[in-house]
Amino acid sequence: MRPSQGVLLVVCLSAVVAMFLMAHSVMAHAILLESSPSINSTVAGPDILIKLRFNVRIDATRSRLTLLKPDASTQSLTIAKEGPADALASQAQGLPRGEYRIRWQVLASDGHITRGEIPFQVTQP
Amino acid sequence: MARLLQIFGFLSVLFRGGTLSFESLTIGGIVFLNFVARSANPQSEVINLACLRWIRRAAVALALTQLAYILASAVILMQSADMTLADVSGANFILAGVLAITSALTIAALAGARSSKSYPVMLFPALLILLSSVMTSHAMARLEYRFPLVVVTALHQGATATWLGGLLYLLIAIPRCPDIRFARQLIARFSKLALISVAVLAAAGFTLGFAYVGSLDAIYGTSYGIMVATKAVLFGTLLLLGALNFQIARSPSGGAVVASLKRFGEAEIGIGITVILTAASLTSLPPAVDLRTNFVSKQEIVARLAPQLPRLASPSIEDLPEDIYAAEVKAFDAGTLSPASFVPGQAGTRPNTPAEKSWSEYNHHWAGLIVLSIGILAFLAQTKHFPWARNWPLLFLGLSLFLFLRSDPETWPLGPNGFWVTLQDPEVLLHRIFALLVIALAIFEWRVQTGRVATERARLIFPALVAVASALLLTHSHSLGNIKEEVLAELSHAPLAVLGIVAGWSRWLELRLPSENKVRDRMAWLWPTCLLLIGLLLLNYREM
Repeated sequence: MRPSQGVLLVVCLSAVVAMFLMAHSVMAHAILLESSPSINSTVAGPDILIKLRFNVRIDATRSRLTLLKPDASTQSLTIAKEGPADALASQAQGLPRGEYRIRWQVLASDGHITRGEIPFQVTQP
Repeated sequence: MARLLQIFGFLSVLFRGGTLSFESLTIGGIVFLNFVARSANPQSEVINLACLRWIRRAAVALALTQLAYILASAVILMQSADMTLADVSGANFILAGVLAITSALTIAALAGARSSKSYPVMLFPALLILLSSVMTSHAMARLEYRFPLVVVTALHQGATATWLGGLLYLLIAIPRCPDIRFARQLIARFSKLALISVAVLAAAGFTLGFAYVGSLDAIYGTSYGIMVATKAVLFGTLLLLGALNFQIARSPSGGAVVASLKRFGEAEIGIGITVILTAASLTSLPPAVDLRTNFVSKQEIVARLAPQLPRLASPSIEDLPEDIYAAEVKAFDAGTLSPASFVPGQAGTRPNTPAEKSWSEYNHHWAGLIVLSIGILAFLAQTKHFPWARNWPLLFLGLSLFLFLRSDPETWPLGPNGFWVTLQDPEVLLHRIFALLVIALAIFEWRVQTGRVATERARLIFPALVAVASALLLTHSHSLGNIKEEVLAELSHAPLAVLGIVAGWSRWLELRLPSENKVRDRMAWLWPTCLLLIGLLLLNYREM
């Protein structure tokens, strides 16, 4: 190996090491801009409409909404097929009063996954 | 499950970093071959063959990293959303990945055929690779101005690959030139291409910055804005090196000119890749225009950065949570964490306790004292009047031991978590790698400074590691929620990273530039100055 090739190798290796180590967080992610019910809000039950709006386009068919009930059981929520590109909509029916959480996971159009939670309270109408 | 997702999440971002880098090298090589090497001279056959070899290597590496990336991302999606492979296969990132892999393998096959007729044909799959990259960019997911932003992003990425990827091929070509005249011809051609690329890059970068940052307040008040500003500073450094190159290329003297150009080119590639990765790190953050709250104000920045006495006494380890990571996972499972947006595998966010903040400040301040001492001794050693000062690299051993013991108090040897178990945590793993890098740096540079080793490669270890370690700082994990504390921490880390990058590459240039080049003398004083400033900044680092 000629000296110049050796130096080139050091440059390339350093660069590749840097790339691999630096790529600690190379992904773009969707963040929740607003939701209904909103975080820590109280809504009247037993049927509620759910809507989440994000900062980017969402792949709704590959996103998930789960309801965590007061007894710690979970229920998958069906996401509405029609709707704006940046939003997920669903509904939950027959909810008794108590503390709930909506756990969401979305796949953004740019291919990256984000999740989060929305705690809220249901009261009787 | 959370641990599995964390490991796959970490792997997928590693592969993404590799993909972005090999993409630039593949596209840059093809542009160089078509517009610089091929038309320069009929004698360029040797150069063409060398370029083809490197294009082939870069294309194969791109295909492999892209495949690994989509596999890791698909596993994350299947595990976290309970989907089958068939459900995942139609996702945008899979389609983009398959497009990139097919295009990269086509390029590898064409480059392997070594026919000059295939050179322009390779431009088509190169364009498809660019398209696949844009398909997974911020622009693609925007709601407003999607098409113009996609076009500007493509121009931005294409210009970057042409300039920085192409520069590597210029360095490969120069030693293979039959004579100086031919080398100058090649450099002149590349300079024209680089100038156009820089103009496109800057215009597109400004447009994207305007679209994604949105306001002046957001430049210093959000993580996204700070990263954009850091990228602009590094881009400025690159332009300075480019201007020095441009000036040299027009000077009448002979061999030393080509040698200088090659050396500046090396530094340009190194800093350029850092800029590419800073840009990649930017995409980990939501654009500043999407954030409405938690901007850090000027007053908060002034209050945080105002000089204060360093904290040289540590809080007791008993004051810290027993296991910070386990505490976060437990809190997350119990649902007591703030419901911020986060990526799968992350445990959520939890504000640091005052004891944790004091622990961190103490770590930074002692590290600052060590680095300041290194800077002073390195300065003295450069005067040649204090031969004993040449032992300054040994102080890095103390820094490594300090980092190893203090950076993760919940892990071995200070904490209850065992050595191997904690290596599964990417953050602890990064800290351990960092401590090993510092030991390597101490040994190599001490041997160099004290004349125990004189080979060129060994001398370059120190600057390369300083540049790599500093670049790491730019990806200090970002929160998706623009948490004020994280923005303020980033305000401290960004100047440290920039100073470290300048220190690494100025030492590199001091070692590599020919003695006739006067810039070399200035570089000899620049890197100790940067080390001094890093020490001072660390001494004033605060978290509260």
